[in-house]
Amino acid sequence: MHKQRMFDLARPSRQHWLGYLLLAPAVILVAVIIIYPLIISVDLSFQNVKLVKMGDARKPFTLINYQRLFTSPDFWMACWVTLKLVVAVTVGSLVVGLSTALLVNNKFKGRTLARLIMALPWAVPEVIAVVIFAWIFDSSFGLMSWVFIKLGITTEMVAWVSTPGAAFWAVAMTMIWKGFPFVSIMTLAGLQSIPSDFYAAAKVDGANVYQRFRWITLPSLMPVLGVTIVLVLLWVFRDFSIIKVLTNGGPLKSTTTLSIMTYDQAFGFFRFGYASAVGVITLIICVIASLFMLGRGPKSGL
Amino acid sequence: MKKMMKTCLSATASAVLLSALTVSAAQATTLSFVSWQADDDAQGGWWKRAISKFESEHPGVTIEFTKVERGAYADTMTTLFAGGKPPHIVHLASFEYQSFAENGWMENLDPWLEKDNIDMTGWAGQSSCRWNDETACIMLLYFGYMMAYNKEIFDNAGLEVPTTYAEFLEVARATTKDLNDDGIIDQYGTGHETRGGANQYVTEMLSYLLDAGARWTNQSGEVTIDTPEMIEGLSRWKTLLDENLTPRDMDSGSIRNLFSDGKMAMRLDGPWLYPIMINGKVADQLAIAPPPLHPPLGGSSNVLGMASEISNEEKALVWDFIKIIMSPEYQRAYATEGGNTPPSPVADVSGVEKDVPHFQLLVDTQMEAAEAKVDRIPVGLEIQYGEFAKMVQQEVQRMIIENLDPADVVKVMQKKAESIQASY
Repeated sequence: MHKQRMFDLARPSRQHWLGYLLLAPAVILVAVIIIYPLIISVDLSFQNVKLVKMGDARKPFTLINYQRLFTSPDFWMACWVTLKLVVAVTVGSLVVGLSTALLVNNKFKGRTLARLIMALPWAVPEVIAVVIFAWIFDSSFGLMSWVFIKLGITTEMVAWVSTPGAAFWAVAMTMIWKGFPFVSIMTLAGLQSIPSDFYAAAKVDGANVYQRFRWITLPSLMPVLGVTIVLVLLWVFRDFSIIKVLTNGGPLKSTTTLSIMTYDQAFGFFRFGYASAVGVITLIICVIASLFMLGRGPKSGL
Repeated sequence: MKKMMKTCLSATASAVLLSALTVSAAQATTLSFVSWQADDDAQGGWWKRAISKFESEHPGVTIEFTKVERGAYADTMTTLFAGGKPPHIVHLASFEYQSFAENGWMENLDPWLEKDNIDMTGWAGQSSCRWNDETACIMLLYFGYMMAYNKEIFDNAGLEVPTTYAEFLEVARATTKDLNDDGIIDQYGTGHETRGGANQYVTEMLSYLLDAGARWTNQSGEVTIDTPEMIEGLSRWKTLLDENLTPRDMDSGSIRNLFSDGKMAMRLDGPWLYPIMINGKVADQLAIAPPPLHPPLGGSSNVLGMASEISNEEKALVWDFIKIIMSPEYQRAYATEGGNTPPSPVADVSGVEKDVPHFQLLVDTQMEAAEAKVDRIPVGLEIQYGEFAKMVQQEVQRMIIENLDPADVVKVMQKKAESIQASY
């Protein structure tokens, strides 16, 4: 009888147990696949280790990886490239995504098809998208250079992948193409939640299209845009496959972001301690950026 | 009811125990083998035949042969070893095994060789498998480069097969053409991978450096980049790229396909080009000649070993598999099926020319490379090779992009290489 009472989740005082019970699988899963590797990674970053094996004795505590990191020009270069890419891709995705969302929010013939086409890049697997773009930006037989030659923009093939500036923009354009539908979908959902009365009232007051966008659409979308920007930003920070397949971080490290640097150090040079330090710093930057953006979003929206 | 419950429970427990034992027994007799050559046209079949022979000689033991792409190979192997689940049979490129051996992850094969009285004298490239005074692996391939060319392109341009760098350059210039005047080059004089991994990038440019007399290090392991020979070698590489005599930013697979499709006049490559050539669109137009650059590029390619942390029983089984691979029968098949030069000095390669017409040429270039002590992996930079290759790739790219003088580039590379060497 006593036992029955113990596990009686219907009792008001024990109702919160059911919540914990239902949450437990997810929490355990997250702990195993995210928290545990994270702890291992942080721990490794404080050891001077090259190749590591699970279960090996821990090496002495050291700050040498962080000392090397902060004095390494390669690290600062990777930070700069990551920042540039984050800004370029986030702004690009936002502009294209918002524009397409505004477009397909209007009523016109073929709107459903237009919405489908808009969302298509999001549905294409990332690696397939990159392979397509690798062909488009091929330096010897690529479509983009062919178009440029036909339009008279250039007289010879552009070495997209072996010119630092061109390589950066090839990566950025691929990421924008892959990332803008997410912004579009989120923004479209936000646009549809804005009451039409707002626009009707503004029209009565004589507000033009730009004024309606500036004073109604944009403020109403800010909460959605805030979250969307954070998610896009985090995606750019952690994205690896697009850069790896398209440029491998080159040329001259012009596309070596922090995630590519982490990979190179770990699997290229077998410096797992140093690679973990890069990973930990990337995580800290991501957390700070997310807090900053999420902190600003709702205020702007209000 | 209670009795029935008890019976059910004990039956379930027995079944679980039995299945657990069965699983563990099955696991004990399954050897894992990961390779990038698993579905390779020529090499894959050779591996599979060796596996079948092993399995027929060891009833109840199976080899699980899994393909992992070469591009992801080092990552996958590192992860498997780091996670404590290494493959029993370890297949690695000769430039990457050192880190695994240095970490104690590869079994010392000396006791196994001694046990079977196997003399490795004369086994091509086997010295490259010695690490920390132990035999960490068995060399599978020590190769020499050849030059493949398109006869029709040569005949149409009235050109002779080049025998020196100067002639090679002349032919490359004469055969690089925009055939339909659309501003895009349709036919290239030669082709090199300039995209992707640094290891391959450095390998691609090495032929020109060797012909100029340059070496990354000397036999004592001292860095020897800042030399007039290296300046000449880098100038040659720069010329090829500046004049667009090779396609830009292509991986080696695409380059080989371009050649076998008839869009390239010449290709310097290893024995593995031949199976691609004979399956190409213009196979009848393609021929093989001695490489015009001397000494030819050559050296160690890939190695076979065993993981150190597996059980002694499993090690004995892996060693049996390695012995099959090393047997004269399979060494001969390595030549007839794969078109490779087998490293075994006792392999009977008579009559291989019937299957591989240019086989003697491969043997000659292999010997020429071996005599000149040529290897892709520089002495003294074995364990740092990944970082060294990345540095070389970046500095050479910088030279081309910023049009730098090779004389200045070698000074920078010398300092950086010494720094990398000292950091380990």
